[in-house]
Formats: sequence, structure tokens, C-alpha cells
Amino acid sequence: MSHTATPLHLLPKGARATIVDIASHSHFGELDAQVTLRLKELGFLPGAVLQVIGFGLFGADPVAVRINGTKFGLRRSEAAKIITTVHPA
Amino acid sequence: MSQSLLRFALVGNPNCGKTALFNSLTGARAKVANYAGVTVEKRLGSLSGLGRPAELIDLPGTYSLYVASPDEQVARRVILGEMAGEAAPDVLVAVVDATNIKLGLRLVLELQALGLPMILALNLADAARSRGITIDTAMLSQQLGMPVVETVAVRKNGVADLQSAMAECAANAASRSGQLALPERAEAVEALYARIDQLLATSVSAPSQAPAWQDRLDALVMHPVLGLALLATILLLMFQAVFAWAAPVMDGIDAVMAWLGESAGALLPDGILHDFVVDGLIAGVGGVLVFLPQIIILFAFILALEDSGYLPRAAFLLDRLMRGVGLSGRSFIPMLSSFACAVPGIMSTRSIADPKERLVTILTAPLMTCSARLPVYAVVIGAFVPQQSVWGVFNLQGLTLFALYIAGIASAALVAWVMRRREAASQGFPLLLELPNYRWPNAYHFVLGLKERASIFLRRVGTIILALSIVLWFLATFPHAPADATLPAIEYSFAGMLGKLMQPLFAPLGFNWQMCIALIPAMAAREVAVSALATVYAVGGEAALGGALLRDWSLPVALAYLAWFVYAPQCLSTIAVVRRETNSLRATVIFTGYLFALAYFAALLVRQMAALWA
Repeated sequence: MSHTATPLHLLPKGARATIVDIASHSHFGELDAQVTLRLKELGFLPGAVLQVIGFGLFGADPVAVRINGTKFGLRRSEAAKIITTVHPA
Repeated sequence: MSQSLLRFALVGNPNCGKTALFNSLTGARAKVANYAGVTVEKRLGSLSGLGRPAELIDLPGTYSLYVASPDEQVARRVILGEMAGEAAPDVLVAVVDATNIKLGLRLVLELQALGLPMILALNLADAARSRGITIDTAMLSQQLGMPVVETVAVRKNGVADLQSAMAECAANAASRSGQLALPERAEAVEALYARIDQLLATSVSAPSQAPAWQDRLDALVMHPVLGLALLATILLLMFQAVFAWAAPVMDGIDAVMAWLGESAGALLPDGILHDFVVDGLIAGVGGVLVFLPQIIILFAFILALEDSGYLPRAAFLLDRLMRGVGLSGRSFIPMLSSFACAVPGIMSTRSIADPKERLVTILTAPLMTCSARLPVYAVVIGAFVPQQSVWGVFNLQGLTLFALYIAGIASAALVAWVMRRREAASQGFPLLLELPNYRWPNAYHFVLGLKERASIFLRRVGTIILALSIVLWFLATFPHAPADATLPAIEYSFAGMLGKLMQPLFAPLGFNWQMCIALIPAMAAREVAVSALATVYAVGGEAALGGALLRDWSLPVALAYLAWFVYAPQCLSTIAVVRRETNSLRATVIFTGYLFALAYFAALLVRQMAALWA
């Protein structure tokens, strides 16, 4: 069983993964803490299981995921904050 | 116990069925108003059967009291009683989507810290049951320390339990005044969720998986290529329907109006009163009233798309594309609402967190073709574009209308791109878009929404449009032509003078003075341009007006007039709402100036090109 940490935006469609961390990301500058908090409020917490369900047309952006039975659309930059370990297929 | 008014507020996540619940609880007694000082619609309804006077407030959906986009701030300010002249509500009715209970409970726990009496409504209880989710409401109620009831807002008897819980609450709760303080966040999000997991473990058993058809539908709707094709088809169908399906009813209204004009004309003796009633009142109001079916069809599409859960998916699909011009998927919903009316469209930009993106969205949303432009387009297209079919399926008139919509959309994209080209496009603000479960739009809720929109339109017809019709008739009638007049009487009137005064400015566009005069009242409401034209040409009924235009205007000029209306900010309410929402005089002046300049330039260009081509 591999436990390599992979950011969400690099996961393939259909992948299931467990969140291990919400990392900081320079993209959001001083808003980064706010974005982290909002992600957590929406249920993106370490330990939660998510599944990648689809991508947008251009550059696989945004990415759609399901978590706690709810679907969300996230940009690659937001998804990059979410560090996961992939479940074996 | 005092019999003072008890105020309930509905609070919950976006898409948890709050509005349907609101409709079921208040029925047709609801009224739409604005919050004092800010332009966010508040829906208020009186509640009966609670043993004392009570009202219900519907709030914008919110995920959190702490991290807030502008619309969530409104919800927070109402809950805390920070709105001017309004105390905090007396009782909170927290609404949680029973199929999405975890996310909803988080807000409930946050709200509970405020210390207000609360009732928890587990909405969409039927959908939850059919997915095999069972909720032990007694247990949940005991653990949370508040009444918990299951509701099915879309069904008639689905809210009876909630009503009795509210009645019980009404017997004990006191109405209050003043503000609440937002307590410091008592615990970290992690701890909050841990508590929720405990709650759920004891009172909910759930295979929390959406039904398979939802996922299959998403595979199509959110498919990068097929999804976009579907979106284009839906929009094309919508515009086609507005033109094709509305026609029979419009002809009917037109005929009734013509009959009314004739009957009234026959009853009244010739003279000033006769002219006032026939040419002023009936022709003016009838000229706008005839567009009610088109507006109803347009709103029917928008309401159904809103209710079904489709719109956030469209925003998802378009996010990357819209980022190309410095906007985001979040701008899509305000843009789409602006097809109905830019005023609510601009208000809904409050869900955009990035202030710069929000400003650009406000400045460009009015380029979306609103329903008030429809009457103007419809009359001109009806008169000048032949009723012929193209490729067997579309008709040329519908396609022309579609082209006008596209012109507005393309221009908005271009303007947004120009405004934002100097900065990195929309970086730094998250999208974080919830993609709610699909739902069948509910008939009762849908009809109520349509009725609300129709009555807003009819109220406009009965007030501002009626008043303007009277003023216009007056301007077009006085002073009377001299006895030895050689020209039509209107040329001697105030309207004639005013139009001729403006006409040199618009001469390069080919507008005659009748067209100029119609632009003035159109500043108050674009659709009045139609009744103004009917008044200056002294004809009643859409068909008769079309005939008059066809005789008097050339095709290039008619097209230039359409181009003018695509761009011109001919709407004082929109300008006022831009001023209020941007809170900047400079932005408002730029908004008005750039759109008038674009309108002038576009009309000039269209006229020249059409003249060359013809």
C-alpha cells in the first residue's frame, strides 16, 4: 500500500483519496489562510475521503470532486492545496 | 404573553430548499422587498396559525457566519440584527438538506452559539429516505437541544410538523430588540466536525451516496465537450421559445387591446378625451403589456434552470473560459440573471468574492439582453425581418434575436478583457462552487415564482409605464397644430420639438426625430420606447406599429436602432443600482459613459455596413 502524498489536482478522474493535509499555497497570497478555512468549513478536512468526478474543458481546470456526499467545483490552484493519499484502485 | 410580532428567520446553506420551504409556509402571502440601505432582495411573509402575529424572513444561503462573501455578509448582518432599523430575529429556523446533512449541521452548530431559540428543519426528507438515509430525529433533537422536524417543502403536508414546532416556539418565545454580538469562534473547524461525526454516528445511518442517475447525468452535463454543446442547445432553445411559443398569446393580447381601443373609441365622442384614452392610455399600456408572454417564458426557463441545480454546473463548465477574459464561473449566474433584468443580476454579484472581478461583472452584466429590451427588439425584428425558416428548424426572426443576444455577450467578454488585461486574471480568489443535487423543479414553487415575476412586470406597466404613457401623450398632443397645418400634428407638439432638437446629434446614425423622442422615456424603462413609438406614430397594436415603422424607416436605420439598444444604458434603475453596488460615482460615470459611447459607435457602424451591403 503506497502512502505517497499527492495534491488533488494531480489525481486522475475517478480516483478516490483520503485528505492528509490542507497546505498553504503562494497563489492566494495573504488570503491563503481564509481559503484554507473555507475549504475546511466545506468539509475538506484531514481524514475525509473524496472522489474526483470530472474536469473542465481547458487544462483539466476546474476539477469536480465529491466529499461527504456533496459535489464541489474547485480550481486547480485550490485543489493544489489539498494533499491526499490515493486509495488503490 | 405579549402579542407583539414574532420574527422567524430561515437560515441555511445555499440550495437546501429554503425558498421552497418559505413558499410552503407563507403561501402566496409573501412579498419581495429590499433591505433598507442595501439592494438585496428580502422576502417576507406573514405566518398564520401560530396563535400570535408572526412573520418569516428568507435569507440568502450561507455556509458560515465567519468566512463570508458579500451575500453571506447580508445573511450574517440580518441574523445579528445589524441591518438598519431591524432587530435580530426572535427565532431561527435552520434548514438542513437531509441528503447533505454534514455540511448543514456545521452551520447549525455555529448558529447555536448565538443563543437564539432555534428549530431545525431537515428538508428533503423524502429524498433522504429514498436514498436509504434514516435519521433518528428524537435522538438528534435531544443531542442538539432543539426541536428537530423532517420536512418535505415541495409537498403540501410536508411542513405541518414544522408549523406545529413553530407554534410551540411562538407560545414561549418573546420578541426581542437590539443586536447580537457574534461570539468568537468557539472551536476549530476540526473539532466542530468531530462533534458532527459523533452526532451523526448516534442518530443517522446513511449510505450517503447520490443515486446513480445523478452521476450519469453529471457525466453528460459536466462533460467538457458534450456539456458545452448541451449548454449552447439549452440557451438557443430558450431564445427560440421566447419568440416562437409566445406569438399566439401575444397576438391574442394585441387583438384584445385593439378591440378595447375600438370599443372605447366608439363610446367616447371625438375630442381630446377620446384621443387620450385611445392613443395615450390603451395604445401606450397595451404596447408594453403584449410582451408579458415573452417575459413569462424567459423567466420560466431561468426559474427551471435555477431550481434544477443546473446553473452551478454551467458555471463550472464556463469557469476556465470566463477566466480568459478576467471573470470566473461565479460571474455566470449574475450574467444569466441579467438576461431577465440587470438589476437583480447586479445584486447577485455579491456572491463574487474578488472585488475587482465583481466590479467588472457589474459593469458588463447590463450588456446581457434584458427582458425590457425584448419589446423593442420584437417590434423592430417583427417589422423588418421576414418570417422565414432557416434549415427547416429555426426561423429567421428567432435567429436575429439570437444574434442580438450574442452581440451583447461577445461585447461583454471583450469589455471585460480590456478592463482586466493589465492584471493577472482573477488570481488569488477561490472558486469553491457547490454542485448541488439535481432536482425536478416543483410545480407549486415554480408557478409562485412566475407569478411573482409577472406581478412585478404588471406593476411596472400599471405605474411607471402608465405614467410615462400619459406624459408622452401629453407631449405629443400639445401644443395643437395650427389650423392651416400642412404637416402631421405631432410635428408641432412638444415631442416633435424635442425630437427635432435631439435629431442632429443622432443624424449620423440615421435616426429620425421620432426615434429620438422614443429614447427619452426609454431611459426610465426601455420597453416604453415601443409605446412611445406607437404614440408618435399614432397607431395602436403591435402589427400596426410594425407597419408604420416599415413605411418610415430604412432597413439599415432599423438595424442601427437595434444596435443602439444592445449597448445603451437606457435604464435609470440599472444606473442607480450600479451606483449603489459600487458605491463609486466614478465607476458609475464610467459605466454610463462607455456604454453610451459604444452604443453610438455600434449604431454608426451597423448603419454604414448595412447601407453598403444593401
